[in-house]
Amino acid sequence: MVKTLTMVFSLRFSSLSLPPHSTITLYTVPHVPNHRLRSTSNLSPPSSTLLIKHSLCPCAAPKQQQHLLVPEEEEEEELKCINEAPSLENDSLPPGIRRECMPRHVAVIMDGNRRWARLRDLPVGSGYEAGVKSLKTLIELCCKWGIRVLTVFAFSTDNWFRPNVEVEFLMSLFEGGVKDEMGSSLRENIRISVIGDISKLPKSLEELIINVEESTKNNSQFQLIVAVSYSGRYDLVQACQRIAMKVKDGIIELNDVNESLIEQELETNCTDFPYPDLLIRTSGELRISNFMLWQLAYTELFFTQSLWPDFGEADFLEALQSFQQRWRRYGE
Amino acid sequence: MDFRDGMHKVYSFIAQIGNLGLHVLWYFLHFIVSLWYFALGIVCALESYLISIGILKRYEGFDINKLRYLAVVVESEEAYQIPKIIELLQWLVALGVKRVCLYDTEGILKKSKDSILVKLNNATVFEEADQSNPLLDHKHISVEFASFSDGKEAVAKAANLLFRKYLKLGDSDKIQEEKIFTEARMTEALTAVGCRGPEPDLLLVYGPARCHLGFPAWRIRYTEIIHMGSLNSIKYGSLIKAIYRFTMVQQNYGKCSLPFDSDCSRLLSIISGN
Repeated sequence: MVKTLTMVFSLRFSSLSLPPHSTITLYTVPHVPNHRLRSTSNLSPPSSTLLIKHSLCPCAAPKQQQHLLVPEEEEEEELKCINEAPSLENDSLPPGIRRECMPRHVAVIMDGNRRWARLRDLPVGSGYEAGVKSLKTLIELCCKWGIRVLTVFAFSTDNWFRPNVEVEFLMSLFEGGVKDEMGSSLRENIRISVIGDISKLPKSLEELIINVEESTKNNSQFQLIVAVSYSGRYDLVQACQRIAMKVKDGIIELNDVNESLIEQELETNCTDFPYPDLLIRTSGELRISNFMLWQLAYTELFFTQSLWPDFGEADFLEALQSFQQRWRRYGE
Repeated sequence: MDFRDGMHKVYSFIAQIGNLGLHVLWYFLHFIVSLWYFALGIVCALESYLISIGILKRYEGFDINKLRYLAVVVESEEAYQIPKIIELLQWLVALGVKRVCLYDTEGILKKSKDSILVKLNNATVFEEADQSNPLLDHKHISVEFASFSDGKEAVAKAANLLFRKYLKLGDSDKIQEEKIFTEARMTEALTAVGCRGPEPDLLLVYGPARCHLGFPAWRIRYTEIIHMGSLNSIKYGSLIKAIYRFTMVQQNYGKCSLPFDSDCSRLLSIISGN
């Protein structure tokens, strides 16, 4: 109750100072993909065109301010991206949440399903099923509030070491979930992408994934990226493998290979916004567990005690407020 | 007309009173919330003080040896505060931390390496051999300095090493090709280009941003990340609390040692239609 009241009040007071452990002098802002900054810098500072418009960078050294200068045509393109975001009435947003400060890409590590089930003396599978419901709720909220991309960490490469029965259960759950969501994705203009080593998945699931990606590839309202059999290290290694093949085929020169090229070959380049602005991890763990290692360099990390099946609108709101408080301070 | 003017004046008066009331309510609520956060700050500071003077016994007696490698990320603007960095390192030495990596994006800490090490007794620059050196005594600390060039740029350099190996193979050996691009080979290549540091167990972030600011991505798969706030407000008690909390954590690393329920097998058969 107190937490909710404090949350609601804090929405209204942009000049509020928070305790040191949640200091809000802003630094992290939505990303500009690195290749756009190639001409200006070798660093990959957090930046966005909105930032440039406000022309404030209280925390950055002068050298970094130079990195924020991007050509006008790219600024217009960024603004176009923002303007092309699903149009929203401010009324559809909860009070205190600003549309212009909304993260474009949110990533989630959905942790705590098994703990949730054990706490209720339920079978572990029930925890995962409850987790699927939380995911559906989150997708609806993202669509409603204008978030363009949601990436969820569904199954890690490390999870293959779990008991076979559990892995099979998860694969069946995933296959059932994709089949259920396919129809609504087509209706609601949602694009579904899957990243990870899908060759390790059951054949039926692999074919289903290819089918659903193809069917929804032209949808543009919202993109759901599901990371299955994925890890950050796997993503980097496969990017290097793809570049090596291009070098061998003479498409690119070996001397042209740099970190920007690696970024373009990562699996998260299936989206216009490959770098998450906000990462949410549930269940109170404070680590990223081999998820999107490269992409999370400047992502706001939000760790919450809620277990994933309990993660609802209030928790998501809290995460967005935490993100937006940093954004608001940066722009002022 | 007089009646209408009178009513208009009454409405106007009521509206002004209402506005004034709302303003007063607004500022009152603002005061209450500010008071709440002020009180929260006092409580945090008090807790930190009580931990540092040893009154809160819960935070004593943790096993510092669980923390094999600590990373500290400092926002580049704050990295110029070398006395604060030295103070932090002295606290870490007092707590028995033996190996630490200091990181900032722009390499300011790297440039200040000499001035930092000279102020610390028994501090040396990290070498790979230090990892397994049992002779490092309680009050010795080895310090690694890292910056952005040890992160993404290093991965690009390591990738180039792998590409050269790959190109040398030609078209003949497909099996060998597949063995080049593996995580283990990438780790070896990173070591070869000079990025030898191990994976930190714990990463403390000092600065306004709650992100790791480009710390070498390859090394933080399972690293616990704690945001400590600004370097200006570092507290010994907060440091103890963060390290204590880390030593209490249990990681499964994505695997699970618990048996899957038999009920789930039944559920599985229902879902698959058997």
